[in-house]
Amino acid sequence: MTPLLEVRGLTKRYLGLTAVDRVDFDVEAGAVVGLIGPNGSGKSTIVDCLSGFEPADGGHWRLDGRALTDLPAHRIARAGLTRTFQTVRAYDELTLLDNLCVAAQEEDGVGWLAAMLRTGRLRSVEAAATARARELLDIVDLAEYAQAPAAVLSYGQRKLLAIAAAMMARPRLILLDEPVAGVIQQLNAEGTTLVIVEHNVDFIMSLCRRVIVLEEGQKIADGPPGLIRSDPRVLAAYLGQRGAAELGQGRA
Amino acid sequence: MRAGATRAFLVLLVLAVLFALPRLTGNEYVLALGVSFAMFSVLASGLNLVYGYTGLLSFAQVGFFGIGGYTAALLVTERGWNLGWAATAGGALAALVGLVIGYSSLRLSRHAFAIVSLSFALLCMIVARDWVSLTRGAMGIPGLPVPTLGFMGREWRLSRPADFYYLLLGFAAAAHALMYLVVSSRLGRAMRAIRLNEPLAQSQGIDPLRYKLLALALSALLAGMVGGLFVFYLTIVDPSIFDFYYTETMLIMVILGGPGSFWGVLASSAVLAALPDLLRFTTDLRMVLYGAVLIAAMLLFPGGVAGWLARRRWQRWRSPRVSPS
Repeated sequence: MTPLLEVRGLTKRYLGLTAVDRVDFDVEAGAVVGLIGPNGSGKSTIVDCLSGFEPADGGHWRLDGRALTDLPAHRIARAGLTRTFQTVRAYDELTLLDNLCVAAQEEDGVGWLAAMLRTGRLRSVEAAATARARELLDIVDLAEYAQAPAAVLSYGQRKLLAIAAAMMARPRLILLDEPVAGVIQQLNAEGTTLVIVEHNVDFIMSLCRRVIVLEEGQKIADGPPGLIRSDPRVLAAYLGQRGAAELGQGRA
Repeated sequence: MRAGATRAFLVLLVLAVLFALPRLTGNEYVLALGVSFAMFSVLASGLNLVYGYTGLLSFAQVGFFGIGGYTAALLVTERGWNLGWAATAGGALAALVGLVIGYSSLRLSRHAFAIVSLSFALLCMIVARDWVSLTRGAMGIPGLPVPTLGFMGREWRLSRPADFYYLLLGFAAAAHALMYLVVSSRLGRAMRAIRLNEPLAQSQGIDPLRYKLLALALSALLAGMVGGLFVFYLTIVDPSIFDFYYTETMLIMVILGGPGSFWGVLASSAVLAALPDLLRFTTDLRMVLYGAVLIAAMLLFPGGVAGWLARRRWQRWRSPRVSPS
């Protein structure tokens, strides 16, 4: 079975610094994969490149066999790969329902003229989008704010709104840059594949059955949490060489 | 839905009063203010589409307005076209120019667009002044003839002052109806999304460039057409059609009314249409007054009157709520 997402040789350089260095990985459909690493190890850069927000300097990637390399961000999103942002983003002046409905409107194939003239087809796809938006607001527990502008939400609520918006168009895969704990399982239950970027190692280890570890732009480990925890290179990356050596001695 | 019905009723009522005005009063000053309102409201609403909805600060609108004016004047005087087609051609040319400057600068950034739009407006005035063989230079094209409108084989000569009032008011009503169809549909929603958070919009499959070009082309088309009609009301077109004063007036209407609010900008253009004329006694002081009003508006009402009202409505969501946690 071919994986849903295939990444090969992904490379990104900033001036002299190689932020992401020939990273390969696959993500199987339906998986929840964690992407961890110390600060500056290239996690967010990978998200930015794969989602089309930063041009990659090398490598290629495919979603479901379809090449996405070098496509603009909106085309990658329409192909079924979307993302959330580390700095939580929402449309402050739009209601929560509009925040969600606008996130799905490019996917339904209704043209501009039909949208302006409010054809029957436009009305039916918008009614379906509104129903889906209400369903998602229920899941993230924001239903009572459906008609409120996003500006009145708290930080935590905005994060939940951002995740609901990412789910709106039923993407194949979401790159979650700093997620919210409570809703991950529910999202995955819908069949959405998730790649989660996190600082909190314990959170990732408890959530994902597979974890990819980065250090200085390179992939240093890839496997189930049990193996990752005891991988000497991972320990070295997080604790430093000496710390890892001491830990190793303690165990021996 | 009741709010929608009330609004529709109010709009029809205002339109009925406006169209009955020439029968109620023979006062040409009132009709002149009406013409000024019709013209400026189309310009301001177009700028609002570009700036208030998609977030592009455009100084190019006056360029579109003047291009429409010159094109229509030349087609009528040199080629004998009737005014309807000449103004449409002026609008189409303006839209095309808008697409060209938008496409070439928007791939860089919003800031590049603002600079290019400003340069474009200045360039328009220089071209109008110096391309003498086409535009007749600084003297312009005076004495534009009484135009005729042709429709379904019939022709009308616009010879009475009230004729231009009807023409511009009718055009403005149609132009606003078209813009309202856009901004109240999900196209307007996508445009606002682009202004509020462009990267988020991109991550949701929205192509910002397409929407920005749509807003720009539509506003240029309408500005060009209203320019084509307006020069025949003035009976002259000269390089002053590209004057910064039009840009300033449009900006003040949009910023006071509330960027991104269709009704707010329409209302503020109605109120402020009388302003240029009321300040005619003091041309030098006018610029200072405009500047002062703009600064005061930015400080007191950052989102214009409509934005201020919207923020007041938001308050009810900010009241403390009981949340289970």
